[in-house]
Parts: sequence; structure tokens; C-alpha cells
Amino acid sequence: MSQKDNKSLEEDTCALDENDQKAEDTGPTETDDVEAEPAAMTRKRPESKTSEPSAMQEALDQKVQESSSIKQSQTGWGYWGNWGKNLLSTASATVATVGHGISNVIEKAETSLGIPSPSELSSEAKNVTEECQNSAIASDCKGDPENPSPSITGAFGMFSTISTAVQNTGKTVISGSLDALEFIGKKTMDVIAEGDPGFKKTKGLMNRNSTLSQILREAKEKEEQRTATEVSMATETKAHYGLLFDEFQGLAHLEALEMLSRESELKVKSVIGTLSGAELDALKAELEQLKEAFSLAEFCDDEEDEKEEGEDFTREIKGLFSQLRVSTKPDKLTQARSSACELAHSLSMQTAKEERPKEVDQQVGFGDAEQEEKKSVEDIHASAIRSLAELTAYSIEVFHKTAALVLHGQEQEVLATDRAKALSQMTIVLCKELSFLSKGFATCLTAAGVEEKGDVLNPLITGVFLEASNSASYIQDAFQLLLPVLQLSHIQAQAELTQ
Amino acid sequence: HRPRRLLHKASGGEGALDAAIWLYQFCLIVLGDSTVGKSCLLHHFAEGRFPGPAKTDPTVGVDFYSCLVEIEPGKRIKLLFWDTAGQKRFRSITRSYYRHSVGGLLVFDITNRSSFDHVRDWLEEAKMHADPFQLVFNLVGHKCDLESQRQVSREEAEELASACGMRYIETSAKDATNVEESFTVLTTDIYELVKNGEITAQDGWEGVKTEYVPDAVHTLERAYSPGEHCPC
Repeated sequence: MSQKDNKSLEEDTCALDENDQKAEDTGPTETDDVEAEPAAMTRKRPESKTSEPSAMQEALDQKVQESSSIKQSQTGWGYWGNWGKNLLSTASATVATVGHGISNVIEKAETSLGIPSPSELSSEAKNVTEECQNSAIASDCKGDPENPSPSITGAFGMFSTISTAVQNTGKTVISGSLDALEFIGKKTMDVIAEGDPGFKKTKGLMNRNSTLSQILREAKEKEEQRTATEVSMATETKAHYGLLFDEFQGLAHLEALEMLSRESELKVKSVIGTLSGAELDALKAELEQLKEAFSLAEFCDDEEDEKEEGEDFTREIKGLFSQLRVSTKPDKLTQARSSACELAHSLSMQTAKEERPKEVDQQVGFGDAEQEEKKSVEDIHASAIRSLAELTAYSIEVFHKTAALVLHGQEQEVLATDRAKALSQMTIVLCKELSFLSKGFATCLTAAGVEEKGDVLNPLITGVFLEASNSASYIQDAFQLLLPVLQLSHIQAQAELTQ
Repeated sequence: HRPRRLLHKASGGEGALDAAIWLYQFCLIVLGDSTVGKSCLLHHFAEGRFPGPAKTDPTVGVDFYSCLVEIEPGKRIKLLFWDTAGQKRFRSITRSYYRHSVGGLLVFDITNRSSFDHVRDWLEEAKMHADPFQLVFNLVGHKCDLESQRQVSREEAEELASACGMRYIETSAKDATNVEESFTVLTTDIYELVKNGEITAQDGWEGVKTEYVPDAVHTLERAYSPGEHCPC
């Protein structure tokens, strides 16, 4: 074991202790049969780090330099300008804000699977060393003679040492990583309790400078990078939401929508700039009225309507879509939703069969489903994530197409406020559906995983809920991008009237 | 080796995982008048089948496709397509995509004379908005299964193509004639230009991107197999 390795191991182990301390500060945790790794299986919603203090900024800058492609993408789409600030400040959609320490744990676990930026590591290490000096537990782990795997450094250093530390120092460290799981669990409980994943009013994208697509693109590229370097062993990448979302062209449609939104916003501003006095006040009042339709406020504490199922979604979406009077149909979306439901249904059938083997014969007798091979919980998880990504991508495509048609279509006889209301209703329906689907998948997972250990099953279930929650936020953020578009169309319609 | 399209729309997440590994990524634009069959051609190429007998709606604004092409054994190129609307009313949207393309297909319908007459206009527009490199185009005479309704002769089209420095290829998405070729030929041409350094990836330009840091792979190998030497 080289001196250097030893040192970095110590530092990394202490990193856990740091969180461990935090966990103790925040009180006891309940479960203790869970290890650190599962945190990496779930994915915190990617967040822009631009509002972080300078140390983080540095790390980010470095990352950008390290990967030319990421840089390209940032500046590339920056070609269309850096506009997110104003617009996104109106966004009501959100993520749960994550405690700093907790997000560090998750992030670390994530980045350590990929390539942690050196500056990130060193600044982390610095903090940690300071922490170590005051920490009695830290000296415990320092003195641990069985600190193995000296060879594991570099890209995997952090990850390996996390698990090493878990093995070696036992309960104390475990409770540190539990911090992360506790958050996820809590989040999941919230999701289950509310049934409305994305609708918690917290600070999400509000103070950010980058656009949602930039954030998602960064996350996707990070994942691609990771994938490219460790194809052989990245089992959990199998179900990476970001890559799947991109595969369904969700990112491309989101970027296109952002572009239209930004252009509209500029035009609206320039129109406002030309007005004054009563005209200006009148327009401002009208635009404000439009904005109200975008608040989604009435949805926050909606009644629990679990009953709706089946064709309701398709009918509802189609109905709302016809109110928009745009010459496009949400067929892809409704089909994606149907196949997602079918999938959830067939999965639950499959697990039901397993539970009651006697029924299997009957089912086969009916010629039902050509004796599908048993799906593992990982497979179910992967299909669930895939369905969520598909549905979200198509939702955003629908918004993008709607924006294009509102701006460039020939049909303007519908009031912008009516369109806004229909779209807002559609957003709600979509988010409910995501929540409904995630519950369905979670039920399948629970049923299929009765024999699995909690540390295998739980991260998969929380993963589904988290991605459903993220999906709902993306849809709501995309919905907010439609506001300037409708504002502009309103102005255009008014102008046509007066002519 | 013949370049070929890789179908990666497998179920589960492996497809996405697989799709993340490439040497280059090219952004390509597909241009041409409304109803010449741009979306069908692209759909056929990217999804491996004709969209079906049902009449498809005209493209709204822009659509997106992506797929992988194996240009040489083990060397994959990811293609991102901007499938633009041919309708004039979306021109302000589609214009935004020229800049982020390295090349594309300029499609006309061999049974529609005016779509051929507009080829030069499309080229002109692309030229105006291209930056930092001029776009590499192939001219595509589409719907060649409708030979009896042909309004544009092959010779005529070839003449125009060579005058504008393009290759000409006739395709039919309906009976799958030359669909794959029209894209792989273009990809190969761009690949050569990139290999020779005539087109290079640039900051702030989406047209061409290069693969992810190979260094990371080495770091990884070292981390995982200490003492073992990398075979390459």
C-alpha cells in the first residue's frame, strides 16, 4: 500500500464519517441492514450547480474543460442565449430540495462510479481532513488495520472505499449513508402519501441560470461518459432515465421548446417595450391573467381519485387536446401510456401467477401470454423506468408541437387563456398518470420481489418513485415554457383584431 | 466493410446503454419541399420500417431521430437528424437548425417537378445559414417506386447534383430502395472529411462531436487491474 493510496483511503473513509456525524446530529435512523451502494442506484434529479459557491463553480468549470463535448453542448445551445433565469423563476415545478450533506453522499456515490473531478475530490478531501481532526470515530477508521484494496484508486477510488469503509467500520458508517436513504425513503413516503409526485411546492429550478434541457443534457452526458468507460459492469445503468429520455428524443424536443419559448419571450418583451400608458397597463393585465392559468395552484391538494383507470386518460387527453385546436394529435403519447399500462398489467399478472402456481396452468390453458420467462426485479425496474422516460419524452414532444402550432399554425380562433387552461389541465392529468403508473410498477416490484432482500428491492422501488417524481417536474417545467408562447400568440391575436 | 445501420431499439435499457458508445456524432438535417417524403425516408432509416399505409400528418416544426451507424468494424457514428417541416410557415423554426448541422439530405419528389425546381433555393438557404462549415449535402430523388409518374429524369437530377457538388441517389421508402445507402453514403463522406481534418469539432457547434475522453478508459483499467498491462 503506497503512502498516497493510504492517505486517500483515509480521507475518503472520513468523508463518510462526516456524513455519519450529520446523521447522528439529525437523530437516530431506523433501519440498519442497508449498505451504501443502493444510493447510487437511485438518481437524484440533476441540478444545476451554477448557484453554488465558488468552489463548486470551479469544480464545474473543470468538468467542462475535461469533457469537450459537455462544453460544446453548453455553449452550443447557449447560441440561443442564456435566458433561463427569468423564465424559470416563474416555474412552479420542483424537486425536493436535498440537504447538503445528503446530496453530497448521493452525488459522491454517483460520480465515483464515473470520473470525479480532481478539484472536487481535493476540496472534499480538504474539508474532510479538517473534520477528521475533531472526530473520534475518524481515528477509529484510521487505525483500522484491515483497510483492504490498496490497489483500487483512480476512477473507482471513492466508490470502493465507501464499500470498504462500510465493511470495516460497521454500524456507524452505515448510518451515515443511511442519511441518504432516509431522505429517499422520506421522499418516497411523501410521494406515496400525496400521490402527486411533482407537485410539492419547494424551490426547484427557481434560482437557476441554466435551462432545464441543459441540466438534463449534462446529466445525460455524464451518464454517457460513465457508460462509455465502464460498459461491462454498469448493471444499474441499464435503466438510466436520462439516456432513455434522450433515446425517445425528449431532450431534443425540450430544447426545441425552450428555443420557441425564449424567442417568444423576447418578442413579448419587445412589444411591451413599444407600449406605454393605458395600452401597456391593459396588456400587462391580460398577460398576468394568462400567467394565472399557469400557476397550477388548485391542484395542490386534490382529492384522492384512485379509481380512474382504463380509457379515461386517453379520452381526457384527447378531449383537452381538441380544445387546443391545433392540427396535431397526441397519439404517440396515448399509445405510450397504453403500452405502459399494459406492461404494468402484464407484470402484475406474472407476479400473481407466481404467487398462486395453481392458476398458472389455467392461464396457460387459455393460451395467455406465451409462457413468459420470469422477469427479475431488475428487469421490471428497467421497464418501469423506460416507460416513465417514454411517457415524459412524448409529453414534452406534445408541448413542443403545441408551441410550434400556436406560433405558426393557422388556427387562432381559440383564446390563449382557454389554451392555457387546457394545457394546465393536461399537465395535471399527465402528472397524475405518472404517479398512478409508478404506483403500479412499485406494486409489481413488491410482488415480484417478495423473496428479495430489502437492500435489493428498496432502491429499485424508490428509484421508480423518484423518476416518476422527476418526470412530473420535467413536464411541469416544460409546461411553464409555454407561457411566453401563449403570451405572444395572445398579442398576435389582439393585433389581428385591431387591424 | 459496408457501413450499416445498427438497430438499437431493443427492449429494456440496453439500447440506450449501447447507444452511448460512439466515435463521432454527426448532426444531419433533412430538407426539401413539403410532402416529398422526408419523414418517411428518415423514419424508414431510423426505425427500420415504412411508417405504414396511413397518411401521415405533415411535420410540425421539426422532428428528431437518432441512430447508430457502423462505419468501419467497431467504429460507430451516432447520427442525430433534424427532420424539418417542408411547409413555409415553419421556416423560421427550421432555419435555426442549419447552424447545428454538418450536412444533410436534400430531398425532392421525382413525381413532383416543382419540388425539384426548389432544390437550388434550399441550397441557397442552407448556404446562408451554415456556420462554421458549409453543409455536405446529398441530393435525393425520392419515391422512385412511382416510375410511371416520374417528372424529373435521372440525368437532369444528376446534372444538377454535380453542378452543386452533390451526389445523387434515388430512393423509395415504400419499397426500401436505397434508403440505407442514402444515409450511409453521406455519413461516410462526412466521416472522411472529419478524418482528414477538413471538418473539425468546434466549441459551440453541434454538427460534429467526438467521442468521450479515452483517457478515462485507461485510468479505469489501471484502477481495476493493477499490475496487468493494457493489451492495446
